[in-house]
Amino acid sequence: MALVDDLRALLGDQRVKWEPLELRIYGRDAGIGQGMPVAVVLPETTAEVAECVLIARECDVPIVARGAGTGLAGGAMPTEPALVIALTRMDRLHNVDAEGLTAWVGPGMINLELSEKVAGLGLHFAPDPSSQAACTIGGNVGTNAGGPHCLADGTTVAHILGLEMVTVDGDVLTLGGAAPDPLGLDLRAVVVGSEGTLGIVTRVLVKLTPDAPAVQTMLIAFDTIEDAAATVSGIIAEGIVPAALEIMDQPMVRAVENFVKADLPVHAAAVLLAEVTGHPSAAEAEARLVASTATANGATHVRVAADNAERALLWKARKSAFGAVAQAAPDYYLHDTVVPRTRLVDVMSKIYEIGARYNLHMLNVFHAGDGNLHPLVAFDARDEGVLADVTDAAREMVLVSLEAGGSLSGEHGIGLEKRDFMGQVYGPVDLDAQARLRQAFDPQGRLNPDKILPAGSRCYDYGVTLDRGEAL
Amino acid sequence: MSTRELRTLLDDAICPPIEGAPAVEHYVAPHSIDQAAGILRSATDHESAVLFWGGGTNQGQGYPVPADIVMSTHRINSVVAWEPEDLTVVVEAGVKIADLESMLAEKGQTAVLPETPGVATVGGAVAAGASGWRRLRYGPTRDRVLELILATGDGRVVRSGGRLVKNVTGYDLPRLATGSYGSLGLIGQVCLKLWPLGARFSGVPVEDAAVARSTVFRPLAIIESEAGVMVYLAGTPEEIDAQAAALGSSPVDTPRWPRPLVTPWQLTIRVPAGLTIAALDRVRSVSGARFRAAHGTGEVLMGLVDLSFDWLNETRSWAESNGGALVVTQRPVASEGPDPWGSPPASLPLQEKVKAAFDPLGISNPGRMPGGL
Repeated sequence: MALVDDLRALLGDQRVKWEPLELRIYGRDAGIGQGMPVAVVLPETTAEVAECVLIARECDVPIVARGAGTGLAGGAMPTEPALVIALTRMDRLHNVDAEGLTAWVGPGMINLELSEKVAGLGLHFAPDPSSQAACTIGGNVGTNAGGPHCLADGTTVAHILGLEMVTVDGDVLTLGGAAPDPLGLDLRAVVVGSEGTLGIVTRVLVKLTPDAPAVQTMLIAFDTIEDAAATVSGIIAEGIVPAALEIMDQPMVRAVENFVKADLPVHAAAVLLAEVTGHPSAAEAEARLVASTATANGATHVRVAADNAERALLWKARKSAFGAVAQAAPDYYLHDTVVPRTRLVDVMSKIYEIGARYNLHMLNVFHAGDGNLHPLVAFDARDEGVLADVTDAAREMVLVSLEAGGSLSGEHGIGLEKRDFMGQVYGPVDLDAQARLRQAFDPQGRLNPDKILPAGSRCYDYGVTLDRGEAL
Repeated sequence: MSTRELRTLLDDAICPPIEGAPAVEHYVAPHSIDQAAGILRSATDHESAVLFWGGGTNQGQGYPVPADIVMSTHRINSVVAWEPEDLTVVVEAGVKIADLESMLAEKGQTAVLPETPGVATVGGAVAAGASGWRRLRYGPTRDRVLELILATGDGRVVRSGGRLVKNVTGYDLPRLATGSYGSLGLIGQVCLKLWPLGARFSGVPVEDAAVARSTVFRPLAIIESEAGVMVYLAGTPEEIDAQAAALGSSPVDTPRWPRPLVTPWQLTIRVPAGLTIAALDRVRSVSGARFRAAHGTGEVLMGLVDLSFDWLNETRSWAESNGGALVVTQRPVASEGPDPWGSPPASLPLQEKVKAAFDPLGISNPGRMPGGL
């Protein structure tokens, strides 16, 4: 096949995969779908990525870029025979500007490794998805990933100052930069979160965040999930935005405790993990405020991490949630809707009702501070009919979030999973505008086709553009 | 649309000439975003260029727009929703920043818009991508535009983003439109993320900005002007006292923000944050220069009565060679002079395609941006 031959001539046999088993591995992410690429390449330089793009164009094969494949929305799953460009080998830390608090990194660098590499400078990369030990910076850019610490620090887009990108034509462009307010339209901002549909990011200029001089981490137990949520609202109403506010419900606490042994309060109905950071006196004052707000809202126990080891253990418990679930069932479906913080309790109770109605084993862990819900349904796909129930329940959970003024995704992206819900959030004119933006980058739809926007998004006729024959 | 229909549409929106705006055939102030979109649609039909006008604060920036119509946002000026517990507010473009901030301050909140706005509007600040001094702590304005309604150059009303503090549903048009200087259309309404003001707001005068930067944690701003260096802090009283002690100085409560520059020439040097002091040294080498350096963010504002074009060109090429820019933000009326932006970005051809997706015939603030976008 010309495609594989040309790619092998470019990259050698080791960095091109075309055996069915290997293709299968690269044909999916951590979601529930499975696709099949025609070939997979592992380029190591921007120039090689550009060459691969040109070869794919020559052979009329679409392109799916991917990182570690930890995404859950099917964003990295090819829907038709495509060339998968895996960027995991482009994992270098190119240079760090310790004065300006920035670094250029390869898209294949693991999120946690970046923070580890700059730890000696007293710096870290703020976005910290639960998958941070495996996910790549390029993948974080693709999905505009989040994590518990987005509450105060913002999601990935707030930490990406610039990008080097290979366009669908094989050109190399740099967008954004280290200086404030780079000139012109902020194309960087739309490439972040675009799931590889606008270009292939080959280098990333990240913002590095100074470590806080003091951190206080608290684990607070409640008899009801409503009390935990009221505490979150109460803390925000006190005029502080903590570094993180995470809630786990009892099924999740038990699963995690079984897995991590962090001495979690397994009899509590809900647990709030709260973290405040800052100057030592600020962190202490805010920790007192968090504790008193929790007590006023019915907290039954407040545990303050005594040292870094205990703090690390509590975070390990939180971030192991999804691993812990694997013990309970072979498959899981993880949701990612967002609702206004003030609607949390209301929406959660509806989600529990849906779970009960479908008789699903549901566990909850969520970024309560920013209203980002993660109901997790554990199941065994081999059980007859269960996948249909899981999918139907998922649809209902999405709809109750939207009815509460919420949105489809807080940090996982739209991919394939949420694509057909986009019409519930936006009208045809809104989707058409998004489709036009995409066409400006990729007129033929060759980059990660079928993702984000539902089929037919670019269908709205406007006299002005179409009558004059100027439609793209 | 016929000329008569256009006239009818315009008649309802027509307003007196706007002070400070260029002389044009029509001044309009639509009553709604839908009406603004209708006018833009017909302006596209007639290929009439439209210049958008908020408070006029940032109109000195960029290339002059050869406008046929000036469209003011002063009648699109409602506060649509404020959810203090969600830390969000939804406002129309014509709302004045000063009014919004004083409303939010009643509940101890802020939209972190420019601190000395004068008559500036929210829509104008978003269109110009204007950030206040507090971006050192809270990031640029762009990071707080959560939802945006745009009347596109060809008259569509497009909503993007959502009224949520965290959201990745579709392409991030709110951030794209922020700082787009009207090139995509009229920004009609935005939802902004809010922050608590903090229990106490203080300034701590210090000697050395670099020492201050490595000493304090999460200051609002570290600003150096002719008057000296001031570290601005917000937080609990305990925190402020402790941080001031670490700086070896005493806090002053409710300090003033630097006054806006009023010189005939105003420039902004933008460089990577680590080069702020190097940029400031260049500014200081010019006698009589007024300045405001935002340490840690890489931005130095400069005010001058007389501008040496040689100095500008040399400083601009230094800034550009370091990945930055030197932007002329205000110039004397009717002055000939240097390019306001300097070298356009390498992505200009792609930017043109993006603009065309919203404004296919190029009637929406045409030619204002770098490269004549």
